Formats: sequence, C-alpha cells, structure tokens
Amino acid sequence: MTAPLVDRLANQAHALLRDGRAEEALPMLDRLGRLGAPASAALRAEAMLQLLRLEEAETAADAALAGTTDDARLHRLRARIRLARGHHAGAAEDAATAVMAAPGDTAGRLLLATALLEEGRHDEAIWFLGEAWRADPGNAALQARLGQAFMRAGRHEAAAELLAHCEQQAPSTPGIAALRAQAALLADDAPEAERLARAALARGIVEGAVHSVLAHALVSQGRLAEAGPHFAAAARLSPASHYLAHLAAASSGTTQDRAPEDYVATLFDGYAPHFETSLLGLGYRVPGLIRRAVERLLPAVAAGRASLGPVLDLGCGTGLAGVALSDLLHGPLTGVDLSRRMLEQAAAKHLYTSLRQADLTAVLREEGAAYALITAADVFCYLGDLNETLALCRQRLAPGGLLVFSLERAEAGAGWRLGPSGRYAHAPDYLAACLKAAGLQALECREEALRRDGEASIPGLLVAAHAIGH
Amino acid sequence: MRSATESGGWPAGLAALAGGAPAAAVPLLEEAAAAGEGGGLAPLNLGLALMQLGRLAEAVPALEAAARALPGHAEPAFRLGTIAGLRGEAAQAEAHFHAALARDPRHVPALAALAALEEESGRIEAAVARITCARLLDPAEPELDVAAARLALRLDDLPTAIARAEAVLAQRPAHAGAARLLARALLRRDGAEAALVDVATRAAADPTSAGLAVAAAELHGAAGRYPTALAELRVAAMLAPDAAEIQAALGLGLADAGRGQEAEPLLRAAIAARPGDLDLRNRLATVLWKSHRVSAMLEMLEEAIRAFGPQPILLMNQALALNALGEQAAALEVAEAAVAHPAGGTQALMNRMAVLPYHPERGHAAALLAAGRAVAARLGPAAASPARPRDPDRRLRVGLLSGGLGQHPVGWLTLAGLEALPEAEFDLIAYSLKPRSDTMAGRFRARCAVWREVGALDDASVAAMMAVDGIDILLDLGGYGDGGRPGLLQRKPAPVAIKWVGMQTGSMGLDGLDWMLTDHWETPAGFDAFYAERLLRLPEGYVCYLPPAAAPPVAPLPALTRGHVTFGCFNNLAKVTPPSLRAWARILAAVPGARLALRTHALGEAATRDRVRARLAAHGLPEDRVALEGGVPHQALLAAYGGIDIALDPFPYAGGLTVCEALWMGVPVVALAGDSFCARHALSHLANTGLPDWVAATEADYVALAIERARDLPRLAALRAGLRARVAAAPLCDAPRFGRSLAAALRHAWREWCGPATPV
Repeated sequence: MTAPLVDRLANQAHALLRDGRAEEALPMLDRLGRLGAPASAALRAEAMLQLLRLEEAETAADAALAGTTDDARLHRLRARIRLARGHHAGAAEDAATAVMAAPGDTAGRLLLATALLEEGRHDEAIWFLGEAWRADPGNAALQARLGQAFMRAGRHEAAAELLAHCEQQAPSTPGIAALRAQAALLADDAPEAERLARAALARGIVEGAVHSVLAHALVSQGRLAEAGPHFAAAARLSPASHYLAHLAAASSGTTQDRAPEDYVATLFDGYAPHFETSLLGLGYRVPGLIRRAVERLLPAVAAGRASLGPVLDLGCGTGLAGVALSDLLHGPLTGVDLSRRMLEQAAAKHLYTSLRQADLTAVLREEGAAYALITAADVFCYLGDLNETLALCRQRLAPGGLLVFSLERAEAGAGWRLGPSGRYAHAPDYLAACLKAAGLQALECREEALRRDGEASIPGLLVAAHAIGH
Repeated sequence: MRSATESGGWPAGLAALAGGAPAAAVPLLEEAAAAGEGGGLAPLNLGLALMQLGRLAEAVPALEAAARALPGHAEPAFRLGTIAGLRGEAAQAEAHFHAALARDPRHVPALAALAALEEESGRIEAAVARITCARLLDPAEPELDVAAARLALRLDDLPTAIARAEAVLAQRPAHAGAARLLARALLRRDGAEAALVDVATRAAADPTSAGLAVAAAELHGAAGRYPTALAELRVAAMLAPDAAEIQAALGLGLADAGRGQEAEPLLRAAIAARPGDLDLRNRLATVLWKSHRVSAMLEMLEEAIRAFGPQPILLMNQALALNALGEQAAALEVAEAAVAHPAGGTQALMNRMAVLPYHPERGHAAALLAAGRAVAARLGPAAASPARPRDPDRRLRVGLLSGGLGQHPVGWLTLAGLEALPEAEFDLIAYSLKPRSDTMAGRFRARCAVWREVGALDDASVAAMMAVDGIDILLDLGGYGDGGRPGLLQRKPAPVAIKWVGMQTGSMGLDGLDWMLTDHWETPAGFDAFYAERLLRLPEGYVCYLPPAAAPPVAPLPALTRGHVTFGCFNNLAKVTPPSLRAWARILAAVPGARLALRTHALGEAATRDRVRARLAAHGLPEDRVALEGGVPHQALLAAYGGIDIALDPFPYAGGLTVCEALWMGVPVVALAGDSFCARHALSHLANTGLPDWVAATEADYVALAIERARDLPRLAALRAGLRARVAAAPLCDAPRFGRSLAAALRHAWREWCGPATPV
C-alpha cells in the first residue's frame, strides 16, 4: 500500500500547489516527509514560498538541492524564494545556474533578469531581457520587465515606448498599467502619470501600485489632499508595505512617532538614480549650511590649523555632506543610511572610509566610538520624537565634539507633527527642551530655507550643539 | 433473517440482498411477501432492502407486516424504531425500541439505539447503564465503545473517553467517530495547542492512520483553521479510500468551503453508503442549489421528504427550489407549511421572507411588512442602542454588512457610490459574510479602512466586534437573502442601522432597523405606511450603477436584419410568474413573427427547461417562438443583449441590476410597477435614466406598451444607438453626484440620532 499511497499524496499535493492552495497541501507534505518520499522537500519549498514562510522555504529548497547539481527547476525555485527574501545576489546566482542548465527556458531568464535588476545591475538585466525577448517576442511579461529595466536605468523614452506597446498588446499583463504610469512619473511627467493611472482605475484595474503612483503623481503636482485617499487605498491593497502605510498615515494625519525603516529605505532607493540632480534643482542648501556652521564654530579647522575627525554622517545619502566637508577632513568619515542604492552612489565618491546600511539609532548605540563631528542633513525630518536620538548623539560626541543637523520647522507649541509629505516638522521650543534633556547645548539655531517646494520654500532650522559643560 | 423456505422469489431475493444488491432484491422480496413465502421473514427482509435504499416510507408497511407475522422477533420493531428516529419522531422511536427489547432483552442494537435517544434527551445515567449492559452482552462490538466514549465525554470522565476511543482506533484506525471523540477529549484535557501536538506526535509515529488525520481536522476546525482542517480530511480520505464516513466528512468539508464540484461525487457516494443520513442529503441539495441545478435539488428533496417526513429544514429548501424554478405559489405553500411546523421556528419565518416577494398575488408591500413583523415578533424586541459620541458633524464610522462585497448585484449597485463617499467624512469598515477575490472585491478593500471576514461568526460575536469597532452607522446589504443577518440587526450593534441594496424587497419589519435608503420612485409620498423603517429618500435613484469597464459595444438593432422583433428576459426564473407569462403570450400573439429569449443559470439544466416548457405551453406561449438559454459568463451575458430588441421585465419582482445591464447594452426595458420595493426597482432605474415612459401601471398597459414600442423600429434603433451615452450621463451612473447625496443622507440620519442641537 505504501508505494502507491506516496504517489497519490505527492500528486494531490502537487495539484493543490498548482492551484495555489499551499495551506491545504501541508498535511500531505508532512506525511510524505515521514514516509521518506524523495519529492517532499521540493514540494515543501514551493508550499512555504506560497505561504511566504520564506526561511523554511529556503531550508527546504537547500535540502532538495543537496542531492543534485544541475536541476534547473529547483534552482529556479530557490531563486524565486531568494528574490522574495530580498537576497538578490543569491537569487541571481541560482537563476544563472538554472539558465546554464536550461538555456532556452524563458522563466529562468526572466528570473535572472529580475534578480539582476533588483541588484541594480541594470545593463546586464537589459542584455538578458533583450536576448530573451528577441527569442520570445510575444511574451508580455518579458517585455514589461524589459521596460522596467529601462526605467530603472533612467532610459525613460525607451521605457515609455516599450511599456506602452506592451500594454497595447497585452493590457491584462499584471502590473503593466502601474509601470507605465511610474515610468511617466520618473520622466518628470506627473500629469501624464496621473492620466495613465486614472485610466487604469477606470478600466477596473485594482492594484495598490496604481493608486500609489497616482498619489505620488498628485503630490508632485502639489495636490496633497487629493493624494490622501489614493495613498490609503494603496496601503489597504498592499497591507505588508510599511512605506505605503506611512504615507497613508501621513496624508490622513494619523500619527506615528517615526517613519518606518522600510519607508525611508524604499523612498531613497527610489530617489537614488536622480537624487542629486533633483535636489540641486530644488535649491538644496543643507550640505553648504553645515559646512559654513563648521567654519564658524571650528575656526581652527577652517584655517587648516587643526584636523577634523573622526566624523559620523547620519543619513549620508549619496554623500553630499561628505563632498561639502571633503577638504576639511583629516580622519575617518563614516556614512550611515538605510538605502542601499544611496550608499552605492556615496561609495562612488570615494570620500567615506566606511559606509553602513543601518538604522542610525542602531549605530549610535554602539559603544566605544567617539566623534569630533556628527552631521545629520535632512535626516531628523524622518523622526518624530527626538529625545532618544539626541541623547544617543550626546553619548557619541568626543570631548569638544560638535553635532550639526537640520530640521523642518513647525510653529512654536506644536511639538512635532507629521506632515502630508511624510516628513516630520519640529517646533523650536520642543527642540530646546529635547536638547536640554539630552545634555546638549545649542551653539546656533538659525532659521533657514532648506529648499524650494514648488513656488514656496521649506522653512527649516540649522542647529549646532555640543555637550553641556564643554 | 435467513430461512430454509425454498421456492419462488424468496431465495433469489434473499441472495440478492445478501449479495449487496438491495435494488434487485426488492421486487423479488415483494413477490415473495405477496405469495406468503418465507413467513414473516419476507416482509422483514423487504423492509431491510428498502431501508438500505433510503426508501424509508415504503419500508414501514413491510416492517409492520413483519412485526405482525413474527410476534416473538425483535428485529421488525427495532427497524421501525430506527426509521422513526431518522424522521425526528423520538417518542415513537423509543416505544419501538422498548417493544424490541420486550421481545428480546439481549438485542444489542436496540439497547444502543435506546441509549442514544436517552443521551440526546439528557438521561445520561440511563444511557450509561444501557451501554454497560450491552457491552457485557457483546464485548467485541466497537460501536458500543464509541457510545461509551461519547457518554464518558459528556460526563467529563476524560480518561475513560480517551481510553475507549483509543481502543476503537486500535481495532479500526479509520473510525471517524472515535477519532473525533479522541480529539475532543484531548482538547478538553490539554487545551488546543497541546492536543494538536499530541495528535501530531501520534500521527508521526503512525503516518498512515486515517483516524489521526480526522482527529487533527477536528482540532483545526475547532480553532477556525478551516483550510487546514480540510487538508487533514483530504489526507484521511486518501489514507482510507473505503471509509464512507471519512469520505462523507470530506464531502461536507468541501461543500462548506464552497467547492461544490469536488464535493458532489463524495456526497453522492456517502449518501449511497449511508441512506439514513438526512444531513448529507440536505447538504447535497445545497451543493446543487449553488450550481443552479434546481430540478435535481428539488428531486432530491422530494425523495428525502418521502423518506424522512416533512421536516422543516427539508421544507424550507424545497420552498427555495420551487421558487427558483418559477413555481411561486407552490413555493409559498411549502414555506407556509414549514412556518406551521412546530419545529419551524425563526428560520422558517425568515425563509418565507425569501419567497413571499416573488408571489404574484400575495407578494405585495403590506404583506411583506406583516411577514417581516412576524419575524421581528419571534426574534424579540431590538436591543438598546449603543452609546456613541453624539457629535453631529464628526467623522463617522460606517459598517457594511454583506456577503456581496464584490462581483455581485450589491457590488455593481453600491461600489461606485461608496467609492465616491468622502474619505475625510466617512470611515468604512467591511463585515464581509463571504470571502471574494475578484477585482470589484479589491475595490471594496481599497475603500474600506478595516476589513473583517465574519461569515463564520455568530450574530453575537459580530455584534460585539461592531461595538468594539465603534460603528456609528450600519448599512445592511443582505436583508432576508441567503446569508442575511436579521438577528444581528435586532442586536442593534450600531446606533443607526440603514437597509440598502441586497434583497431589498420591502420592509424588513424589524425595529432594529432605523431607516430604508430609497428614492421618490421606489417609495412616493404615502408609501411610508408600508414600512417599519423610516424612509431616507435620496434626491435621485437609490443606487449608483457601475457599468462594467469591458462591456462589449452596443450592437445594431437585431430586428433590422432579422425582420422580426426579439424580446428578452435575462432575469432568474423566480421572477418569471404566471401573470408575466400571460402578458408575454399576449404580446407575442400581437406582434407578428416576434420571438422571446429567456436566459438564466437555472435554464442550463435540461429538467428545468422541460418544466418551463410545459409552463410556457400552459400559458399560451408557442414553443417554437421562445428560446430557453442557460447562464453564461458575465461578458457573454452582456454580449447576448446584442440579439435582443426590447427587454420584458418580469413582475411583481422587477429586475434590478438586469435593467441596468440591459440599458447599458442599448436595450430598453418594458416594466410594470407594483407597490412593494422590489416591484419598483425597474421604475427607479428607468426613471433615473429619463425613460419613465417605459413603465406601465397595469398588466394591460404593459402589454400595450410592449406592442406599441415593437412596432416602431426606426425609433427603437435611434434610442438604442444613443442609450449607453444617455445612461452614462444620467444620475444612475453619476458617482460623484451620488456620493454627495449619499453623504448628505447618512449625515441626516446621524444628526437625527444625535438629537436637536443643544444651545451653547
């Protein structure tokens, strides 16, 4: 009885997984495992992937792969699992193995290209997708992915053309409408992005991504109130996204005490490719303001009579503060940011001795380090309550060390509030209380326009402080 | 039951029965019994054969004859008791079992059956004594161990319950009843988590035990993890493909999960194996209902009623089946019989509400109000309103209660309006009674701040959840329909409750409902007396139609190429009443060459088409001029309007969404307005599109109107060409405008509850 039973269990489990009913397959997989069926590990990996129990999925896939070397199907499976876990390099490796084992397989090529794209290896992704698409020109998923690759690589015209063609040929390709609208938005054509997103909604397409692009397009046009319901809809349709939850909360005035890490990382990963050009275009002044504060407050450093360092640059982004301070540095410069893509751009400047993808409070908690200068340009605007962060900064300042940071300014008495932009603003009196509680003393607190926002400018504060008693 | 008599049908009949062919045995045994062969054993075995076939009513006279012929024999009385028990006649059953035991005090099955009746009526001690006695007589019978385990569980004697269940499973590893008892006993002894670990450990040691999979399913089900429970049942069924009870359990599990196609063969096999199980038959009827095979459902219910007697649950389903076949008068009669049954209760009263609005004479507004009030009287007065901050202008939390939040008439008629309701003023919270995953369900999810799937919860739990959520206004979108929750409304979970789309047939008669959302066409001045609710009239129509984004284009008028007019009605058969058929017959008679096309899901079943054909003929509709078509996917249904020139709306229960769809596809609708809410749906939608002149006030006007419109094809073609644009521009589809009206109406209802403003 055992042999046919194992086959029946495996067949039924396979059929359930094919229908996307992983939860119902689990008890069969339990029995298969106990009965020592050879297929059970691969089936379990597939089931766990469907259930988003990704760590277990990868363990099962490892077990399934332990006995074989070139099973393309299993490598594709593990590539999908690793992609879902955000382990893009590993996914690319598996997908590459699968493509080598089965070179003609479109699914493998698509996975490889997806992994490369997530890795930021746009040109390679474009090459693989182009090859695959030429071999299978009717494949809408390939075409959409290729359009996305052009978009990520900043080749907006090619992206727009491909995605438009894809949507025309295969309008039901998942995600195509949102991609098209997003491409328009990235090409700085917010009205066109709005038009495309609205047309998709009118066609009855229900995807969080469409609402999200529409909301961003409305924000770009300064129509924050209209954007709110679409941020909310996007967040409801993508309940796992902290990024959208934060924006929805911000637009509806529901308060959280800081922006979630995922939000900041996603936001700046998205900005990275054209971050500096757009900031400079917006009259972004903060790095320069920090430089001048250092010149005023550390005249010996400015005159070249004393060396500056070590320096900790919180939320370093693409490294603009590093650039502004570069000729004053005589010690290590450490940059910290949540966005990997931003850090890649900072690294390309060759100014930082170390760059870390981490939450700033985690780095500030590391004992032992002491910095002569801590900078935070446009960073604390992603925090509500400043008490803990300022206290940690105080602990990490070397004797005589200086903390320089920018804030968006709220009216006195407002404490801190989350604005519809998704950023926090802080009132001067609240700041003073936080500084005092942290054991810091303000040396300067200057009202500054941080950058332009449409016709208006964002009012801010540039604060320099040192530890009380110094 | 064996006999030495040897002549005629008797030995052959006995052999057929012993060989597992009761159907073949029946005529032979009937012949033998008539010939007096085999003494009383012939009618006895005839009774047994009929019972095996589930033909309980026929078995009774045979068994009674056997009892007379075999006065010293316990078996006939025992079998008569079994049948009485299946028919829900506990007292007669008990008398028969006592009679059996009087004839043979050592009759173990009678002892066990009597113990089961005693257990059901709470005489646990007596039941225990009887089972103990039976086990002394037959220590090897596992069913007695099962009974002992069940009684021990009732007495909270968990060690005994577990030991007895384990003993049965050791002997019969696929015994579902014992496995469930083991699970329940472990659950009570160790709690949910530990019990599951215990069962999993046992299953790990014995991975091919079907009973342990059933036990795991029982525990997962008790914890509300239905997919996992179903999965364990699947495993159990694969491990024990021949265990009827396990196959039945899987069939029921699949039916519960809405997977009728997979469930049906399992349930049919289970019924064949266990013809005395009423629940299995009723559940198969439900599966057939959901797949629109109403004639098969009716046949199965009628057979069950013959066997088990007119039990209310069977009658209620029979009423629904008859109604869905368009036999409204018969349906109401059966629904009334269920109401009159002593065990009918609230369910039977609510079931009548699902049938009454379709009745051509009795389904009028005043009758609906009275029948609704009868439900309210049975449910008892509504609970007190919960306390909520009485601020007239604050943001309100609005609950949606419905099983139709997706691609469903409720969705097509409410979604666009709800999307247009300003977010800043109204927080929406969905209480979904049926999970849906289509794109319209996605749009509901996108609009609702909180989503709760509550279909598996009882009224009290949902009401408690709404109280915690702080619902200010509850919109009921279910009424007395399938899955509606009138009992929940009477619990008053929100200060303001409003009836809207979703079996909105007339007054619900409940004091737990405050308002009915309506318009001036549905309920003109003077109609207030027909409603227990206050009427909350919107300035235009009471719904906002969301046209399907991918509808096919409007086709040219088919009459221009065909040379004859084609009338159509795509409503369900429940709405197709004798007066509608009569009117259609007169129209076809007056319009030369005209055809009528009926299209609905129920007509996909051949037996139903036959029934309908007979009815058409009886009402003077020529068979060769009427096409009967089954249901098709939505896109194809819309495309089918390309072959219709004029839609004929049924009455008194008018088309709702069907009218909107016909208009969107360029097909105008001839309708008749009655006095109930559902008799005026078509009027509301047509008037709201600027076509009030397509609505008649009497049957004669309706016939004349259809004839007149069918005679002017150029005018019809012109209307058709511009109809979609006209509908799109009409208030019927103007979501922003509707959103403002709905917001104002909800605010008005809220302000009324808040009371007059207190002077500052």
